[in-house]
Order: sequence, then C-alpha cells, then structure tokens
Amino acid sequence: MDPRFLLARLASSSIKSTLRVFGGGATAAPGLAAEYIDPKALSKLTGHLSEIILVTGTNGKTTTSRIIGSILDKAGSSYIHNREGSNLTRGILTSLFSNTSFFPNSEKPMALLEVDEATLPSVISQTSPKVIVINNLFRDQLDRYGEVDSLRKIWHQSLRNLDSSTTLVLNADDPSVSHLGYGSKARVVYFGVEDTKVSLNKAPHASDFTSCIVCGGELVYGRVYLAHLGIYHCANCKHKRPKPNISAQNIRLLGTEGFKALIDTPEGKFEIKMSLPGLYNIYNCLSAVSCAFALSQPLAKTIQALKGFEAAFGRTESIEIGGKRLFTALAKNPAGFNEIIRTVFSTNKKRFVFIAINDYLADGTDVSWLWDVDFEQLKGKVEKIWISGVRAPDMSLRLKYAGISHDSLNTNLKETLEDAYTLLPQGETLFIFPTYTAMLEIKKILAEKGYGRRFWEE
Amino acid sequence: MKLTIGWLYPKQMSTYGDRGDILTIYQRCLWRGINVEVMEIGLKENVTPGAVDFYFFGGGQDSAQIEVAKDLQRYKKKALKEAAEEEAVFLSICGGYQLLGHYYKPHDGVELPGVGIIDVFTISGDKRMIGNIMIESNVIIPQRNIVGFENHSGKTFLGKNALSLGRVIIGNGNNGEDRTEGAIQKNVFGCYLHGPVLPKNPGFADFLIEKALGRKHPELKLKPLDDSLEILANESAAERTRKNP
Repeated sequence: MDPRFLLARLASSSIKSTLRVFGGGATAAPGLAAEYIDPKALSKLTGHLSEIILVTGTNGKTTTSRIIGSILDKAGSSYIHNREGSNLTRGILTSLFSNTSFFPNSEKPMALLEVDEATLPSVISQTSPKVIVINNLFRDQLDRYGEVDSLRKIWHQSLRNLDSSTTLVLNADDPSVSHLGYGSKARVVYFGVEDTKVSLNKAPHASDFTSCIVCGGELVYGRVYLAHLGIYHCANCKHKRPKPNISAQNIRLLGTEGFKALIDTPEGKFEIKMSLPGLYNIYNCLSAVSCAFALSQPLAKTIQALKGFEAAFGRTESIEIGGKRLFTALAKNPAGFNEIIRTVFSTNKKRFVFIAINDYLADGTDVSWLWDVDFEQLKGKVEKIWISGVRAPDMSLRLKYAGISHDSLNTNLKETLEDAYTLLPQGETLFIFPTYTAMLEIKKILAEKGYGRRFWEE
Repeated sequence: MKLTIGWLYPKQMSTYGDRGDILTIYQRCLWRGINVEVMEIGLKENVTPGAVDFYFFGGGQDSAQIEVAKDLQRYKKKALKEAAEEEAVFLSICGGYQLLGHYYKPHDGVELPGVGIIDVFTISGDKRMIGNIMIESNVIIPQRNIVGFENHSGKTFLGKNALSLGRVIIGNGNNGEDRTEGAIQKNVFGCYLHGPVLPKNPGFADFLIEKALGRKHPELKLKPLDDSLEILANESAAERTRKNP
C-alpha cells in the first residue's frame, strides 16, 4: 500500500464530509488537499478505473458530458463523472476519490471527466485516456489563459505523444480543433454540420481564427455556422476542413424549444428531436454521438439516450414558478452569448430579459468581452430588461452603446431577481443570462425559495 | 461635420473587446449630430494619408501580430508616418501600441519592426501582466482617473520623445517597473488599456474626438452629454480594481 496515496485519500474524504456538514458544495477543496499530499494521486487512481473519457473545449463541456453519461447509462456501463462541476485536477480528484471503490476485485468503473482547457495536458499525462473529446476553442477568460492561440499550441504539444490506443473526437468545423488531428498517431473521429441553411451571412466580429494554422495564409469561409466554425479552406496552402465522419443534416432550429436534425454516422442515419436549444447544442450532441461511436457503443442505445435527455443545470434550463417561467442560459463568452441571442431572439416576439454579470475568478476578472458580443441584435426585441451582478454598470453601458436602455440597474442580484419576477406578467418567460458565478447565485436564491435542487445533488 | 475612422486590421487585431472603443467614438459623435464613417483597413490594403481623421489599432494574438507586422512594413508604414506627421489622431492598444513603436523583441525569434511613430520599444517579458489597472492621466487629458484592464507580456519602455499617458496607481502599466503607462507623441496615443478604455473614460474619448475633428475645425467645442452611466461604470470598475488588483 502506498502511504502517501492512502493519506491523500483519507484527507480528501474527511474534508468532504466536514464541508458537507457545514452545507458547502465541497467540489474542490478535498481534491486540492489530496493533490497537495500526493501530486501523483490522479495517475495512481487510474489503476482503479477502466476506460477514461476526457471532454474539453470552451463551450459545451457540461452538456456534452451529460449526454455521453446518459448514453453510458443506457448501455449499462458503470462510470464516475465529475458532474459537481469542478473541472480542474482538484475537482476531478474529489469526484474520483469519493466514488472509486478501493476493494480488490471490485469491478472497475469508467471515468467520464470534464476537463478545464488549460488543465487538459496535465490530465492527459497522468491518465491514459481512451477518448478525448474536443468541442471548440473560443476566446474565454483571457485573464486566465492570456490568449486563445497559446492554448491551442499547448493542446497540440500534449496530443502529439498519443498513440492509436486513444481516439480523438474533434470538431471538423473549428479550424483550431480540427488541426489537432493532423499528424497525430491517435485515431481521429471528426464531427461537423452539413447544412448550409443554418449558416450566417457573415462571420461575427468575435472570430478567433482568421488565418491558416499550417501556413499563416488567410482562411476563406464558404460557410460560417457560428463564431469561427464553418466550412473553410486556406487561400494559400491546401489545408481545408476535414470531411466529418459524423454529421448533422436537415437541421430545423426550433428557437428555445430545441432542434430537429438528421444525424449521419458510419453505422446509419437517424432523425432526432431534442429539447436542447440552439446550434451549439447540435455540436454538443454530435460530439457525444461521436464519443459513443469511438467507444463502440451500439447506435440503438445512443438514439434511446438522446431521446430521453434533459439539459444540465443552468446551461439552458427552464422552470415554472406560479404561472411564470424562468429560462436560464449560461452566458460566459462572446461565442456562447451570441448563440444564445440568436436562439432566444430568433422570432420577432419581444422578450423579458435579465442579465447578470459577475467578474469573480470563475467568471473571468476581465469584462472587456461584453463588447465583443453583438447586443445590437437585441434592439427592438426587448420588452423589459433588468441588469444585475457586480459588473452591472459595465453591462448597462454596453447596452447603451448598442442603442438599448435598461429598465433596472442594481448590483444586488437577489433584489433584482425578485423585482423582475414580480413585474413579469403571468404566462410570460423571463430570459436569464448569467455568468457562471451569477448562475450559481441564482440557483441558490431559487433553492432557498424551494425551487430547484441544490446543484451538487443533481 | 464628419469624422472618418480608419480601423486597422479589425479581423486580426480585435481580441480583447477593443471594438468598444470604435463604438464609443462612433456613438458619441452621432449623439452630437456629427457623421461618422468607419473604414476597415485589412491585410494587403493601402492607406491614403489625409483620408482618415482617427486611426484605431487594437490588440490581437501573438501569431496575428507577426502577420500584421509584415503587412505594416510592406503596405502601410510610409502612409501612416505621413499621417502622424500631419497630426492625424491615433489610438493604439496593446499589440497595436507595440507595433506603432520602434520594434518588438521576442525571447527568441526575429525582432518585429514597428512603424516608429511613437518613441517606444518593447521587449518580451517573463510573466504576463494581467489584471485591473487604474492610472492618473497626463495633465493634458481632461479625464484624470482612467480605468482599464491590462493583459500583456511585452514590456514597453519610453524614449525621450514620448510622454507617458499617465502614472500607474494600481497595476503594472508599460513594463511593471517604472510606474508609467502608455505613451503620447504628437497626436499618437498608445496604451495597454483594454476594458475597453473609452466607454468607461468618456473624458478621454471626447478629448480624442475633439483633437481628431480639431484639425479641420479648430474652434470646435463638443457639447456635453449625459455621462452618468459612464461615470458609474468608471467608479464601479475603480472599486473592483481596489478590491481585486
């Protein structure tokens, strides 16, 4: 027995129970202690696990992992998922320590791990992942990552050492992600959208990759689906978007209700209707289907799982309280926010809107990104708008320069939410767009009032 | 009356919300009945000196900066020098600021030559300087408390012909050593202030608009606007900076 590892395990579990007693979520501190005591804890834990799946990318980690989880459920596989939401090494350790059985001869579960973008290389080096899913790469939390392109380079570096025992599931439509498959010895499965109807007229301003990663030449887009995702080729060298192995066709976006699409896989095609709204959720669905394909899961189980799937907390969630609906969609970076705007304001119906912007560490301490979101699209489509969160003045100012005046500006989230709920007419929906910590605050406010479960229990 | 904005490399050099500076100049002119035209100046495009009153040059990623540095030398350097001589106004942020100086020297690799219209040079540093920043501006700028967000690893040093834009109160500024932030030379302004800088510092925005229009309209005095929201955002950012430097 490894005494250091044992100590790390004990520390993790005792801190976890102590924190739970005091009512905290305890999603990171136990793992942090374990990591401190035994820096190799993660690598040692892998001996108690069977196949490991890593899911990363700027947007869609949580939703994608949840879809993969429901596919594994249908297939009857046992797995551990760090679904409490902390995706740094410490959060992963917390989940694994509290759910792994250390009895000899017990069946080894799989691990389904959401991994923070910057943490990915260290997790890859400590585990031998069977599948790595990479959804996309957008500007996000630049106060932590510095710049987007340096993150891509770090990924490229760390993926180079993989061999054919690992499958990379990559977004063909994102040039920064698809490029990771070139020259890799790992197996690669590409997914993408094959439907020109859902493309935009022009690339939005917040485009992070405008030049070819291979030669530096200008990237030309035949189609743009969202941000820098689309059908592209380099004007200079021969580099172009790889043909996806798994694709979505005949897409119908049903506003906030969800989507319908035909999914084409090497094992056959199927029609699907899901209650996840927006094109970004089609990508999440495609990457999950591709992951299931990489794991050789039977297609029938995948289809069943998709049909019964419900959204993860706060990602795009709608609850009803006293004849009024609250629709919450996490908004944390320009690419995500632009897509939410596209989804919610796709009709001419005027909406009741609530935006909450915080600038804590988990949100990113820099709020400059608000100016890369196309709020101009909201003009004439807002019935009433409440602005809250610690950086509410910045948000209101952004709207002012988009030609939209706010109805209420109050940094106190609870007061503003109560006010908005009271003023919301019966039968109407309040569209809530919070940053990450604001979303947790809202969740807590609702839980105190008896609505929604506490997030770590979901 | 009309203001023409020349936006340098909007595709490559606009990663950190700096487009907000263009929006601010644009709206603050429109609200006063001044027409605005925004000319996007991309790769391989030439610049006509005299056609533009106000040049804007934002920050981008290191890889984009290499491409842009080459393009500047080949297609734009001469015309931009001429424009600076003729006292067109320039606002450059971060990567844009570095490229209007003499050069950027990376750890390894080739030195990137700049346009050389501000007497500054930049060398790459070991640690990235990231965080809220607050400065006390140079006395020529009517707005004295300027707030922003910095995110750079380059360390910029001022030569004799450049004044600093201000003195760092909280944050790193040009190089994290001499407490200066940004640079001014004639009507060329450079700084590390994202945030973006102009919306929350309306006195700085109006000062630049007046200077840019002042070449053709020397008597011009801009009408005041209701800046209560801008001032509130400035104060709230200052408070966040004190709490979260």
